Formats: sequence, C-alpha cells, structure tokens
Amino acid sequence: MGANENSSAKPRVRPIVRLGIFLISHSNIVSLVCFLAGVVALLLLPVLAKNTYISENALMPGSANNMLSTHHVSDANKFIKDLTDLELRSMASPIESQKLIAQYMSALDAEVTFHKFYPQFSQFHPLHFFTSPDSGIISKNGTCSSFGVNTVGIIRAPRGDGKEAIVLVTPYNPNKVGLGEAVSLGIAYSVFSLLSHATWLAKDIIWFVADSQYGEYSAVASWLREYQAPVFHKVDIVTSETCNESSTFDELGQGLYLDGKLNGDFRRAGTMAAALVIKVAEQGNQYEDSLNIYAEASNGQMPNLDLINIVNYLAVHKQGLRIKVKKMWSLLDSWWLNTVGIIFESLGKIARSLNPQWKFGIPASEYVEGAATLASSLYYQGLGVPTGPHGAFRDYQVDAITLEISPKVSLTKVIRRNEFILRGGRLIEGVIRSINNLLEKFHQSFFLYLLTSPGKFVSVGVYMIPFALLVAPLPIVAAYLHSNASSSTPQNPSTLGVDANHKSWKWLNSARKVLIFHLWGVVVSLLPFFLCQLPNTTPTMNFILWGFASAFSLLILFFISGCPIFEAAASQPEKNRWTSLKSVTISTTFIGLSLMSVINFATAEIGALLIVPICLLARPLKLDIQAKSWRTLLRASCNIALGFVLFPPVAFVLLKGAFEDFYGINVGDYWNWVESLWAWNSATYLYVGVVHLPSWALCIHILFHPC
Amino acid sequence: MEVRLSKLVMIILLIFLSFSVAYSSTTMHTNNWAVLVCTSRFWFNYRHMANTLSLYRTVKRLGIPDERIILMLADDMACNARNKYPAQVFNNENHRLNLYGDNVEVDYRGYEVTVENFLRVLTGRHETAVPRSKRLLSDEGSHILLYMTGHGGDEFLKFQDSEELQSHDLADAVKQMKEKRRFKELLIMVDTCQASTLFSQLHSPGVLAIGSSMKGENSYSHHLDSDVGVSVVDRFTFYTLAFFERLNMYDNASLSSLFKSYNPNLLMSTAYYRMDLYQRHLEEVPVTNFFGSVMKTIHTDSAYRSLSNKKIGTAKTRISLEQSISDSDTIILRNSDAEDQYNNLTAEKYLRDSVGQIWSAILGSTFESIDTFVCYGLILMLPLLIFSTWLSK
Repeated sequence: MGANENSSAKPRVRPIVRLGIFLISHSNIVSLVCFLAGVVALLLLPVLAKNTYISENALMPGSANNMLSTHHVSDANKFIKDLTDLELRSMASPIESQKLIAQYMSALDAEVTFHKFYPQFSQFHPLHFFTSPDSGIISKNGTCSSFGVNTVGIIRAPRGDGKEAIVLVTPYNPNKVGLGEAVSLGIAYSVFSLLSHATWLAKDIIWFVADSQYGEYSAVASWLREYQAPVFHKVDIVTSETCNESSTFDELGQGLYLDGKLNGDFRRAGTMAAALVIKVAEQGNQYEDSLNIYAEASNGQMPNLDLINIVNYLAVHKQGLRIKVKKMWSLLDSWWLNTVGIIFESLGKIARSLNPQWKFGIPASEYVEGAATLASSLYYQGLGVPTGPHGAFRDYQVDAITLEISPKVSLTKVIRRNEFILRGGRLIEGVIRSINNLLEKFHQSFFLYLLTSPGKFVSVGVYMIPFALLVAPLPIVAAYLHSNASSSTPQNPSTLGVDANHKSWKWLNSARKVLIFHLWGVVVSLLPFFLCQLPNTTPTMNFILWGFASAFSLLILFFISGCPIFEAAASQPEKNRWTSLKSVTISTTFIGLSLMSVINFATAEIGALLIVPICLLARPLKLDIQAKSWRTLLRASCNIALGFVLFPPVAFVLLKGAFEDFYGINVGDYWNWVESLWAWNSATYLYVGVVHLPSWALCIHILFHPC
Repeated sequence: MEVRLSKLVMIILLIFLSFSVAYSSTTMHTNNWAVLVCTSRFWFNYRHMANTLSLYRTVKRLGIPDERIILMLADDMACNARNKYPAQVFNNENHRLNLYGDNVEVDYRGYEVTVENFLRVLTGRHETAVPRSKRLLSDEGSHILLYMTGHGGDEFLKFQDSEELQSHDLADAVKQMKEKRRFKELLIMVDTCQASTLFSQLHSPGVLAIGSSMKGENSYSHHLDSDVGVSVVDRFTFYTLAFFERLNMYDNASLSSLFKSYNPNLLMSTAYYRMDLYQRHLEEVPVTNFFGSVMKTIHTDSAYRSLSNKKIGTAKTRISLEQSISDSDTIILRNSDAEDQYNNLTAEKYLRDSVGQIWSAILGSTFESIDTFVCYGLILMLPLLIFSTWLSK
C-alpha cells in the first residue's frame, strides 16, 4: 500500500491549502465580499437579537409576594422629611445629615460605620491600564481638607452564614441634598427597614450611602478598595498628624459611640453577590414612571445578563414601570437607518411568504429602535468608561447595575411620592429577594452581550460574526501582497544576482518601518503623562503641544533608526517596496484588532469598521494618478478622504458631530476626551494610540509612497 | 418396601416444600417497606423535599412504621436560611400542615444521598458500620414502595447536581434485589421529567412502575407559595396525595383506581404505568398493599399453637399453612406495631418457640405425675401417722 502511494507520489495539495491559495489569488473580490458582508451583518444584529430569558433557576424573581407596605413607606417619608428639613436649616454642616442617616440606620439594629476617604483625582498612570486597583495607590493629591465620609449600614442575615452580601448604594451629596437624592435614600431606607426584620435573608445586606461630593464613582471605588483589599499599614497616620480635620470625623460618631451601636473600625459582610445603585431622577418623565438601567463598566465589561433580566422582569411585570436603556437618539430619525429597516422588513415579509416557518424580520420602527440602542450599547462598551458608580464593582468581579427611577410628575406632592416610593421600594425588594435566592455567583447567563432593548440582546456568538467578516480580508490581502512582492522581484534582472536569502528576508525592511511607527504610537500615548505634569495648561494648549511633540518624536525616531521617511527617488528594486510595506501594515493591524477584540470587543468592532477600508484600499497616489482611469482616480480620492477622516482627532470630531452636534466643538475637546479615557484606565486609549494611530500613519505613508 | 416408599414420599414432600419456599410468588406478603428519595438540592427545589415528606407522612399514616421507611433527603429546606418559616416545610400554600413536625426520621440526609448509597440501600450491600435503621431489611415477603423525585431526563435521574442514576443502574439494582429475594412486589413511583424513561430497562418480575410523565414531557410543579417564595409541590405528587387524603387504612381502593385518578390535563403530563412485569390484576390490589402496611390475613379455626405466647388477636399465615386454607376466609386486619415487632422475629425464633412448647409439654406431664405421687404419698402417710400415734400410746 505504502509503496503504491509512494509510486504515485504526485505532490497532492490538501483541500484546505488549495482553498487558501484560491482565496489569496482572488483576494480583491474576497475582501470586498467579506467587508460588505461584515457591514451587512452588523446592520442585521438588531434583527438577530433574541429575547432575554432568566437563565438561572435559583433566582425565581417575583415568586414571593412583596412585603413592603405603606407602613415602611411612611417611615421612609419621615426620614426624607428629616433629611430635607436639615437641608433647609442650612446652617447645619454636612456632618449633620450623615449623623442623621447613621441614627436612622442604628435604630433599625443595623451595624453602622463611617468610612472616611480621600478622593482621587484623575491622573495619568501609564502602568495602570490592566492592573487591578491597588490599595496602595492612595492618592497623594488628596489634601487633608478634602475628604468624604461614607455611611455604611449592615444587616446580618439572621440565619445566614454571613459569607455573602448584597449591596445597596445610594449616592448623595451631603452639602446639598436634592429631593431626588433624598427620595432615593428614602427608597433604600424603606427596603432596609423591611429587611431588618426579614426572616428569609440568606445574605447580609449592606446599605452604602456614598458621599458624592467628590464624585459618585470615587466614593464607591475607595470604599470598595478598602473592603476588598485591606491596608494593614495605615497610610492615614500621615494625615492624622498633619490634619486637624480628622477631629470633625471623630466628632461625627460621638453620639452613636455612646450608644454602643457605632463601630469604629471598618466593617465587612461577606462576598458581594450583587450591587444595586439606586438613583432617582428629579425631573419628571411626562408619560409614566420609568426606570433607566445603566450597566456598562470599565472596558466594556457588563454585569451578568441575569441581573438585568430580573430587574427588567420585576419592573415590567410586577411594578409596571417603563424600562429603558440608553439609545443614540440621533439615530432614531436618520433616514438611512429607516430605509435599512424598511428593507429588512420587506425582506422578512418575502421570506415569510416563501416559508411561514422563517421568523425573520421585524417592523422597521422596531428595527430603528433596536439599532439605536445597539449603537449606544456598542459605543459605551467601546468607550470603556463606566456609565455610573456600578462600574467600580465590576473591577472586583461583582455584578452591579445602576437603576435610575424617574417619576411621572414632580416628587414634591407627598401622596404621589408615597406611591412612587412604594413602587421603587417593591422593585428593589423583589430584586434583593431574588438575588437572595442565588446560591452561587451569577454565572448562568451571558457576560458578553449587546442590548438592543431592555428585553432583547445579541450574544457574543452572533456579534462576533460581523467582526470576523470585517477582519477576515486583512490576512488574505496581506498574504496576497506578500506573495506578489516576493514573486515579482526575481523577474527583475538586477536582483537576480542578489543572495536568495536576502530576497526572502526583504520584508524585514518593511517590518522595521512598521515597528518604528508602532513605537511612535507608544511614545505618543505616553506623552500626555509628561504634559500632565505641566502646570496651568488649558486643554487646547495641551492638545497643540501634544500634536507638536508627536510630530517631533516621529522625526526623531526616524533619525535614530536611520531610515528615510520619504525615499527621494525610488530605485528599481524599491518599486515593489510599498506592497511589502502594506502587507506588513495590514498584518500588524490585524494582530492589533484581534488582540483588542479580546480586551474590549466593542472597541475592536468599531475600530475594524474604521481602519479596515483604508488598510485594504491604500495604494500610492502617484501610481493611481499615473494610471489616469476613472477607477484609479476614484480610488485615490477615496483614499484621501479616508485618510483625512481617520485621523483620530478628526474622527472624534466627526463622530461627536454625528451623534450630538457640531455646536461648540473646539480643539480642546479631543484632549478632554482622551483625558477621560486614561483617567478611567480605558483600553480604548491604548487602542487608539498603539493600533489605530500607527496603522493610519502607515496608510498615509503608503499613499504618499514615491514609486 | 414400606420404608422405601415412605422415604420416597418424604423426599417428594421435601422437594415440593422447598420449591414452594424458593418460588417467591407463592410467598405470602408479610411486610411493607418504603424507600422515599428526594434527589435534588438547593432552595429552588423545595418542592422535591416537600413531595417526599408528604409521601412519607402518607405512608406513615397508612401504617408503615418509621423503622420500615428509608427516607433520603438531599437537602434540608427546613433549616435553609431562605425559609421564611424556620424548621417548617409545607406542601400547600395554606400552611395548614407542617410536614417537618415531630417524628420525622431522615435516614440519609444532605450529601449522604448519593447514587452509591441509594444502590447500597436497594441491594443491601452495606458497610458493616451502617446501622440497621439505615438498611432496607426486606425479605421475600416484602412489598416495597420506592418513591423518587428530583430532576430527570431521558433514562436518568439527577442526584445532587453532580451524579446521575441511569435506568440501567436502577434495573440492575432491582434485578439484584430479586436475586437476593429482597422483595415480593416492588412499586416504583417516580415524579420527574421524562419519568417513564427510567423504567425502560426493568425486567424483573413483580415490579410495577408509575412515572409522572412520558418521554419528552416535563413534570410541572403544582403551585407557588408566594409567601415562602417557591413552588411547594409537584403536580403528580399533589394529585397522588389528593387521592390518598380521601383514604384511610381500612379502605379498599385499588391500584387501578389510583392510576385512573391521574388526569393528564391536570398533570400537564401523561402518567405512565408499566404493568407488564406485574402478575396480579391491578383492580384486585389495594393501594394499601404498598402505601400502607395492609396485607392478606388468614383466619383459622385452630388455636395458634405456635403463637400462644403472643398477645395478638390476628392469625398470621405461614408457608405451611398457606396451601391448606382457601382465600375465601381471608380478612384484612390491621397490622399493629406489636405485630411488627413480631414480624422481626425470624424463623429461628419461631423454631425455638415450637421446641419450647414440646419441652413444656414434657415438663407438664412430669409435673402431673409428681402431683399424683405427692397426693398418693400424703394419703399413704395418713395411716402411717395413725399407726405411729397408736404405737406411741
């Protein structure tokens, strides 16, 4: 047998290799088809969205009757009244309201503690992008005078094992307690008072009243840092020696210390199963009571879909609240999206007429809504900046969402307010009771998803397809260009004598150039660290400085590497150099996008949509213009347009204009945006600096390649 | 010749006797056992524990004593922190009946409920350290009720979220039981999804199987207790219990009436019976034969020689008596606890009783002769006394 095979040893190519060769040889058409298919698949996502369902059996939301009664609500009302009265007395220091909250908490037999923290100011930490928040990074910027005090109340589960806890967070500003904040505290209080005598608790309940005068996020984050990663050598010593302010903090608990109800030290309950941030919007929603859900945490991380599902289920089916997630409002009345929606609708109708089994297609209006929600979901995930204080929990793998309840009418009317508190409180109670039933961490449902409406989602398995289709042409085109470049050189008689080794390693030259551009990208991303150190600068100035420094560093890098930026005259062997350069550029872009898709999928998806066309189209303008056919001229103009649009600041301004408006945009905005990215340790910043910018620069370099 | 003939007759008799002993279908039903298994953990499976406890309560009410019930509960809902009513379990939202009251003897609890332990209980292959209370000490005259509830699928039943009992395992265990003469009749009642598939591999005679649902069907819970916040009972078990609530232990409801009582519309699944392995007609079998401890009892005219030292008013039949007495004069009588104790006595004790009787007979006759001897002696002594007094004068 073996001999037979050997005798007929015709070098047979495996089918997969043949397929690969086929794809590479038809790279133009393949890349066009893939890219278009990717865009179509992306547009199809709202149609492919599935209804959410509660995946975890243990949750059983809504299976128990609500126990929150009007009695609890009237208690909460008294609490709100006391809190707002305190505000009116105006002379009272912010400490007073915290004292009041602590008194109310301890009256419910909860363990009460105060947590003092120093706010952290946004600062550029180049090395903090992927590290977990460290307890050691107590900011040195925090001066003694500026510290916040969080109030924490803990109810222990009467028969629980004390190993798990559910966290309720109500951010409020003690310096100026608005009615919305007071009502949100009231809702939390009503639930807390109910839970203080509930016999069915299996998890401890922590009510965390965050002091939001230095921002909601930093208050929550600093408490969480202390909770999760205790510091054993107190950094506080420095401050207590130098500051007199700590005396006010001590004064805070004096009345309660005497009762023996306040605990001086930091108190913990068990592992956090979930956290709910409760907010009440002050301005009324005209139509009905509604609930906004914010879920995006840093770097596009999402809480488990089950958490959103139970809130959605309870709000809609039990409390009759209208539930909303963020939308791109500007997309709602865009003509092109409506057209796409109508096309999909009619396609769905045709499909159904062919086979009634095919449940394809949704109404155009629903499609537009879904697309707007999807776009917002994609955008906020891609941005990598948490949309609320719940983001701090996700850093510790705790599932958390922010619930913003907005009333139909103003909350000043007491009767209306009672009903509102009852509804909100029952919603929170139901969610807590459901989470209380949980036996393990949330794990059943999805973590990687995009929402197209509160009750519909696109899971990772579906939304990966557009991305895969978008980036698929990159390696194919790279391989095509590489094989082209290496096969075309031997035809040149002058290179025939050159060492064969040298030929096969020719692409290394291009790789060096690509490497230099990427190094430049790293340098550009690090520059803001130094610019931050400059005192008294405006964003506009910073931006301009940054631009100059970037350009300058590019020149220096090329000078050091000894590699000419613009080859003056292309010698004969260098004619094909741009193809090999493009091949390497495309490969590195592909690698960058693939890596980014692991870190933050939404960023990679948006990034691929932007950078892939120019990567595929880029071709020296000189060649195109020389050819002088309408096709090449069109390509050249496309290239110029894309090259202009994809310059990161321009892209930013255009996107901002598209989704908001162009009014009042100035140059400094880009700097502000970038600052917010690094302040939140968003990987998107790295993507823009290390992948997008060098790829764009290389494409521009190819456009102006002399050949 | 005569000696030979008598020997032959003896041998034939012996063979016949031994055959009748070995062939268990002719063995009398002498005792009842119940193995009640809840296989699932976790709070949201509250209803499975409630199912099992309800059935436990029912069979106990109908006369199976605790020491003949093996109760396996995979989790303890009564003491779960989520239970609004600590240490209580209900199977109805009216909360009228606490299933977890006094006198609940759980033999296997928590992580002890494993496939291994379950099979050991059935087959009787225990480690030596396992106490008698945790063993199924049934014999060839036993009727066993095996009730299982939990989460099932096609040909398996999930144990504890980590293991599965497959239909092969169950069939194998039943076969071993049959070989080891551990039962006379076995009723397997399963309340899970696709329960009927669990019986597909059974082929031991004397087994009757009821499942709550056919292949591809789910078994649903009956209702939700919105106070406790969980479903408290499954439909199949609920309607089974509803059937038994109408009964007391003197009722003669037959198994077929139980089977007919299941309404597929109410169950939302189709109850499945496997009867091909079972010899008797279901119309003739009272449910109390399995769910209670009621068995065929024989009234005899003769005195209970063997049982004379027992204060029991019932007549127990034995193998030797069985053939001689017709079925017509059987009555159903209650099997009291004292009698149960008697049932625990093995043949050995029985033998000892009969030997004792012979001994007492011998002794009795001896005593009689001594009495007369003393009497006669006394009478004889009287003239001697007269004679001696006359001499002393």
